Amino acid sequence: MKPDFSQLIAKLTDSGFEFVMIGGYAAVTYGSSQVTRDLDICAVLTSENIELLRKTFAEWNPRHRMTPDRLSFLKFPKDGESLNNLYLETDVGVVDILSTVLGVGDFVRLKSTAEKFVVDGRVCWVISLPDLIAAKEAIGRGKDKLTAVELRIIAAKRKS
Amino acid sequence: MVLDNELLEQAREAGIDLDLIDTNLALRVEERWRQHDGALRFILKLQEAKAADEAGLQPTNR
Repeated sequence: MKPDFSQLIAKLTDSGFEFVMIGGYAAVTYGSSQVTRDLDICAVLTSENIELLRKTFAEWNPRHRMTPDRLSFLKFPKDGESLNNLYLETDVGVVDILSTVLGVGDFVRLKSTAEKFVVDGRVCWVISLPDLIAAKEAIGRGKDKLTAVELRIIAAKRKS
Repeated sequence: MVLDNELLEQAREAGIDLDLIDTNLALRVEERWRQHDGALRFILKLQEAKAADEAGLQPTNR
């Protein structure tokens, strides 16, 4: 696997899939120096959206990374099924798609305050900085607390 | 720019490099992403090399 999250984001954006970027890569977007191993996004995983994701990721051998046999995302879940979360591994990186963010809320809540970034001509919605800090503090693991402190510094620098 | 003293203290305790944050903030988002992805690929490559090395050095029963 050769991670290329920029490529994943570009492909997702071009496909029309509606999402808000969350997690460590959102922190990187705001200027954090942390390195994250996965791209986390928040979205509504209706059966239609799952189908769109399948088409979008098809060329990158998407598989369910939490299953023992790494089941193919191209075959599971079956057509017409919806999900709450998806934990995928692709040839260009790990992507986790969550329906809610601990300490903040669901996709609609996140999108209502999300910040718009235009990157290489594409519009990308990213969880707001205050929401990201709240989410990192709610998770409470050591590395998340560290990122939260870094983000609070970035927030202070942005205000000044 | 003046940062809250408590926040600065937390940053110091956590070992956060404030200069590095300034460097990142001076970059465009696409450059932040590019640097991050490059760093991640490098980390994974190092881990693979370490795992391969350790596999080659496994003691045997002979």
